[in-house]
Amino acid sequence: MDLGNEVQKILSWTSVCGNLALHLIWLIVHLIINVWYSALGIARVVENTLISSGLLKSYNAINISKVRYLAVVIDSEEARQTSKVLELLRWLASIGVLKKSQTAIIEGLNKSQKATASKIKSQEAIVEGSNHGTLVEHVDLEFVSFADSKPAVAKAANLLFAKHYASTILEKPNFTESDISEALQAVGYGGPEPDLLLVYGPVRCHLGFPAWRIRYTEIVHIGPLKSMKFGSLIKAIHKFTKVHQNYG
Amino acid sequence: MHSIMLSLRFSLSPSNITLTKKNQYHFGTKFPKVFATTTSSSNSDNGNVGLGGPEVALPEGLKRELMPKHVAVIMDGHRRWARQKGLSVEQGHRAGGEKMMVLTHLCSQLGIKVLTLFAFSTENWIRPKEEVGFLMKLFLDTASSQEKLDKWTRNDIRVSCIGDKSILSKPLREALTLLEEKTKSNSGLHVMIALNYSGRHDILQATKRIAKKVNNRLLEVEDIDKNLFEQELETHCIEFPEPDLLIRTSGEQRLSNFMLWQLAYTELYFTNKLFPDMEEADFIEALMSFQPRQRRYGGYITKT
Repeated sequence: MDLGNEVQKILSWTSVCGNLALHLIWLIVHLIINVWYSALGIARVVENTLISSGLLKSYNAINISKVRYLAVVIDSEEARQTSKVLELLRWLASIGVLKKSQTAIIEGLNKSQKATASKIKSQEAIVEGSNHGTLVEHVDLEFVSFADSKPAVAKAANLLFAKHYASTILEKPNFTESDISEALQAVGYGGPEPDLLLVYGPVRCHLGFPAWRIRYTEIVHIGPLKSMKFGSLIKAIHKFTKVHQNYG
Repeated sequence: MHSIMLSLRFSLSPSNITLTKKNQYHFGTKFPKVFATTTSSSNSDNGNVGLGGPEVALPEGLKRELMPKHVAVIMDGHRRWARQKGLSVEQGHRAGGEKMMVLTHLCSQLGIKVLTLFAFSTENWIRPKEEVGFLMKLFLDTASSQEKLDKWTRNDIRVSCIGDKSILSKPLREALTLLEEKTKSNSGLHVMIALNYSGRHDILQATKRIAKKVNNRLLEVEDIDKNLFEQELETHCIEFPEPDLLIRTSGEQRLSNFMLWQLAYTELYFTNKLFPDMEEADFIEALMSFQPRQRRYGGYITKT
């Protein structure tokens, strides 16, 4: 019986030590994972700072001509931060994306924000502390909302009906995708197809941007507007300029 | 940032030791087993999913009430995968087809209601003739495979096809129609295969159908609105026509003319992995990144 008790004691002790050891391993694993992700976060911050300061040479010479039409979608709740929105537009202007012959399509702003944003058209836009300052002569800004998407297609359908049915006796409709594009233009909801669409907000979706226009648009989710970084913006545009599309 | 949950279990109990008739001690317990799993089902919040297939518990971290109802997948990267492995393009597409079956089975087990797979776009016709020919043959083999039909039937999966089937070959059209007929009564996961599909063409054909109805006096012009449109799109027949989550593989970050109307408020998940390389854990990671999202569908969340 003494032997039995001894064995039981040893086994108990082994069990306790084993559990402690496993708990320690568990904590170590958690620590390693947390350190890894913290390091990644720090690396990201450092990279953004280096890009903003112009120290990373590869980001200084971006082939902006590839971005003929840039779209920005801002989450409705995030768009309340007017100062952040305007700062973003100034950054875009300073990068050189909003030059003459280029267009920026913005979704998510309210009326007063649109009015204020329009003033950026003729203003000097220089970002403090960056090498990307440039004088902007003319900026084309287009503002869109959800009404430009699905309801617009419904209106274009009305127009196509009037054009192809009301005035002819065709049995079958023969209008094409080009007809829809023209009809959208005619009802005031036409516009270019953006090359790049930047999404600012907590959710990774394009928030109802005009569906007809984003067939081949590159979509990049930047993140919340309140924590936007100039470096992230540069990086997104730089990455886009390296993308190759097969179009099928 | 993702936290990877590991569950380490250590099993040894002194009560497993028994005293035999010869007063010897029999250690009924084997040497303590220590094992780790990333898909523990010990959490009582994870409900079991009861579908046509066997019941399974959800992987750790996934909540049944936050599961997307409709998942859409752009299966990209077959050719790159084949090139990386030194294989032919055909083998890449075949590997993609097998992965598609795995994904279908997984979605069925997880309780997802609709899975839409972008198999072939209207723009894909410009690819080399041999590749297109092989793909059409692969689709025909898949649609007419009795083995696959049995698998889908066993898992109560319904299969249907969207896209312009009019220019597909007659055997393929007939095989797809037969497959849709044979699985029509299944009530589990609804798999929609987008074949020769174009988002713009979807909107165009909806426009034509509406115009025809108005012309035939079945509708008034004033009735044309976005809700009516949605009823005429190719996805009108399914319970949840708008995807909650879109997964695109191979690192490309665009829609490529896929479900343009339906993806207005869809969560977009882009991963660098090539589709044939996607594992169950990768799909679950996509679902886990979707679940905590606060989707506002363009509105505000008012704080009271």
